[in-house]
Amino acid sequence: MSPSRLAPFILAFGLLAGGASNAAAQGVRGWAASTVQYVELRPVQQGTAPGDELVEAPDGTVTYQGQRVRCSVGVSCTYYGVGEVEHTMHGAEDVGFTAWGLGMEGLSFTGLVRARARLSGDFTWPRSDDPVDAILAYAQLQRGPWRVRLGRQETLSGLGFSGFDGASVRHEFPSRATIEAYGGRSLARALSEPRNQALTGLVDFLPDQEAWLIGGYASVRLPGQTSVGLRYQREILGDRSGLVSERASLDVSSLWLRPVTLTGAVDADVAFQRIGKSHLTLRYAGPALPVAVELTARRYLPYFELSTVWGFFSPVAYHEVLGRLSWTDGRRSLWAAGGWRVYEETDAPVIFDPLEDDAWQAQAGGTLSLAQSWTLDGEYELLWGAGGFLNSSEATLRYRPADRFGVAVYGTAFQQFEEFRIGEGRTLGGGASLDAELTDRMRFEGGVAVFRHAPGGGQVDEKWNQLRGWSALRIEFGGEPGRAVPRYRR
Amino acid sequence: MSRALRAAAWGALTAMVSVLPASATPTPEAVQVVEGQDTFPHVRHQGLFPLCQGCHLGVAAGDEAAFYPDPASCNGCHNGVGQREVDWTPPVPNAEPDLLSFSHPVHATNVGAAEAQSLECAACHVAPGGTSMAVEALQAERCLACHGDAPELHVVSAPCASCHIPLGTSDLPSERVAQLEVPPDHEGDPFLAREHGRLVQSGANRCATCHVQQQCVACHVDTGLTAIREFQTAGPQLELPPMEARYPVPASHESLGFEREHGPISFEESCSTCHTREDCASCHLPPLPETAAALPARAEVQAPGVDLGEEAPATHASPFFQKDHSSLAASDGADCATCHTTAYCVACHEAPQQPSFHAIDYVASHQADAWSQTTECANCHDTQAFCRSCHIDSGLQSVGRLGRGYHDAEAVWLLRHGQAARQALESCASCHTQRNCLQCHSQLGSFQVSPHRSGFDAQRSWEQSPRTCYACHVGNPLEGGRP
Repeated sequence: MSPSRLAPFILAFGLLAGGASNAAAQGVRGWAASTVQYVELRPVQQGTAPGDELVEAPDGTVTYQGQRVRCSVGVSCTYYGVGEVEHTMHGAEDVGFTAWGLGMEGLSFTGLVRARARLSGDFTWPRSDDPVDAILAYAQLQRGPWRVRLGRQETLSGLGFSGFDGASVRHEFPSRATIEAYGGRSLARALSEPRNQALTGLVDFLPDQEAWLIGGYASVRLPGQTSVGLRYQREILGDRSGLVSERASLDVSSLWLRPVTLTGAVDADVAFQRIGKSHLTLRYAGPALPVAVELTARRYLPYFELSTVWGFFSPVAYHEVLGRLSWTDGRRSLWAAGGWRVYEETDAPVIFDPLEDDAWQAQAGGTLSLAQSWTLDGEYELLWGAGGFLNSSEATLRYRPADRFGVAVYGTAFQQFEEFRIGEGRTLGGGASLDAELTDRMRFEGGVAVFRHAPGGGQVDEKWNQLRGWSALRIEFGGEPGRAVPRYRR
Repeated sequence: MSRALRAAAWGALTAMVSVLPASATPTPEAVQVVEGQDTFPHVRHQGLFPLCQGCHLGVAAGDEAAFYPDPASCNGCHNGVGQREVDWTPPVPNAEPDLLSFSHPVHATNVGAAEAQSLECAACHVAPGGTSMAVEALQAERCLACHGDAPELHVVSAPCASCHIPLGTSDLPSERVAQLEVPPDHEGDPFLAREHGRLVQSGANRCATCHVQQQCVACHVDTGLTAIREFQTAGPQLELPPMEARYPVPASHESLGFEREHGPISFEESCSTCHTREDCASCHLPPLPETAAALPARAEVQAPGVDLGEEAPATHASPFFQKDHSSLAASDGADCATCHTTAYCVACHEAPQQPSFHAIDYVASHQADAWSQTTECANCHDTQAFCRSCHIDSGLQSVGRLGRGYHDAEAVWLLRHGQAARQALESCASCHTQRNCLQCHSQLGSFQVSPHRSGFDAQRSWEQSPRTCYACHVGNPLEGGRP
């Protein structure tokens, strides 16, 4: 572990040692999860096709051993095929805990550490080459309405998750209105490490310095069980030569139209002066009816940091309407959803006809309790339009003879085209899983799934032949005042 | 006391037994029969015995031995000569304990004296309008004509102690306690949730007829209530049947959003009726709110409390909640913090290791979903470190020169990709690096194609992040560098 990764731990422990007369926590609550994942697949490989073995169809399509071939003048013909079977096994160990009773009223320490390792295999599971991360490591002092955190922490907001090494101060008013200010060294998004450290080698044009994050949050409760949250956040480069991001978000949830629940959000990329994502959802769940109806209007525009060129490529938003319906009578439940989206005008040069600029989606599913201990889940999904096609169905049969033990078998069939690729064929898959509560504080789950690709015409052969397996063992330790039953017991 | 009077008295007692619930220790005055049958033909003897006391001499004095005449005295007439012989035996007193508290001497003397009139046996033991010897089983309503309100209100409105002894002082066996008749107005959750408390406070003595403190504390967490503390406790002689706590859900708790709004209306005195501190702790993280901390711990009380377990709020019941919780969380993070720690959220959002959020086949079928960003992938995954890393291993990376036919659904993809890129640039970035694009979209690239849309605010972009401009431009593009 590098000194930089250890820094938040050292800082937080130092604070505890200096500020608390009794550093031995009187209480600690935590968990450890050991996860192992295995995958076996055949990666896509680009190959060169011998000119004398090419086959040209009447429509002009050229193939080699059934694979579509691309030929350019003066360049050998190439195709995408599959390589040999490769596998990898990845292990991760998460340990999270909160300790309190440190000799100072309201003082606690929270840590969440993740260690990773490639246990075996031919290729790298995402991030398994990053051996350890301190995801959270902060000391917290809670005194009445005030809460102060110092160390590595994350904020949760309509802007997503933002991690930083620094301080945050929060105050909650009696009306439950909340204000919060925070700031510190910014961490790379979803990586829990300082940006330069995490992104070096991954990102082009990475500034050779850290970024600093400052932000503020306010939420207020209004009549009608209405909550409004407003956040502003700004990341600047260490030498203040430019911005990494400057964003704001507004989130609303309300029961003012009870029994209709309203949720909505909008965020703005202040730096680019454009509105980002937004949505408005109305959900009706009648108290007398077992039916819930949801209507959503949504806009989506991806967000990119200013330190990359992507945001300057003028991405456009899409607008979407979604409808959802769910029903349950306790033993059975059904749900269905459908939506349509259309992209804004891209102003991109168009050669021949423009690409599709809208898409449909539909999903349906349900759960049926067949008998005591037996449950059947099913789901169907169809995505059709710009960018891809997916026609997928799956079903799971679960058997839970006791609270502490359950097994499931699973089957799936799907057909998909990747973004602007053709002939991906169909994939059939199946698997089984089990979960068991070994003790009140120990839980195990694991499973295996096999996917077999039935190729169509002109596609990458057996690309999706996969074998996947996983296991997870979770152990809770410590306790908390007033808790008789472990938290994960259901 | 005449035989007729004694018979009438027995008839009355018998009738009361049939009306009242069975039970307890007989008091000196209380005498019952096993079955309420009048085995003596009173009416046929009405000309012979004008006074009840003639036969039932001991009733008025409470002398059980003289409640009935000696059967041998029947032989005076029924000697087989004038009248046939008979074999009459007086009813056998019931040895079974019950809750009845009745005194013939009081009724025969004190009550009558207090009212300055004689309380005749027939007042209770003969139906209105009947002849004096038309003795029949006594109906409780006749007692209530003097002691209580209207007969239909008997159980809860009459002064019970007039006729009954409290359960706590009885020695009923458990099966008899279990058989105590439940009055109609006791049925239903509203009575259990609200009404019984008011009744206890208006007169616990009435409740004590059939209830003891042990039954209160079997459900009540707040055993310190005055009404409970002062409620009669069953003595060791009383066997109580097993008691199962039941906690009906008050209507207020069923309102939409109660989980969110219960805080300000939670008070120790109201919540502690049913809830222990553990109930609050099943959701609230320490330090517990003041009201929650003030509740009794489960170990401190006999009642189990509601035992909330970890029922999720109603908002979590939607099959779409997992995908859609962001706005709820972002608009009122403090609400989520009631049950969830930051670590709980981070465990999922920070490139989770455990395959719990996505379906088992998601990795194999995620392409279309990623393209449309129905769930914003970047909330949990770093595009470069997570998506592209895996794509490289799967052979889906872009390397070196572009344009060798991967996107084979489009014959002239390179000339048509601009629209697709602007529609879903995140998807492009999951396989391509920035430098891939700059092969063409750069002042230094092959074709120097501008990636900027019309209306692009170059001035603002330069002000915000000039160093990014240099990725494509040589010099300040606003000072002559080609856009």
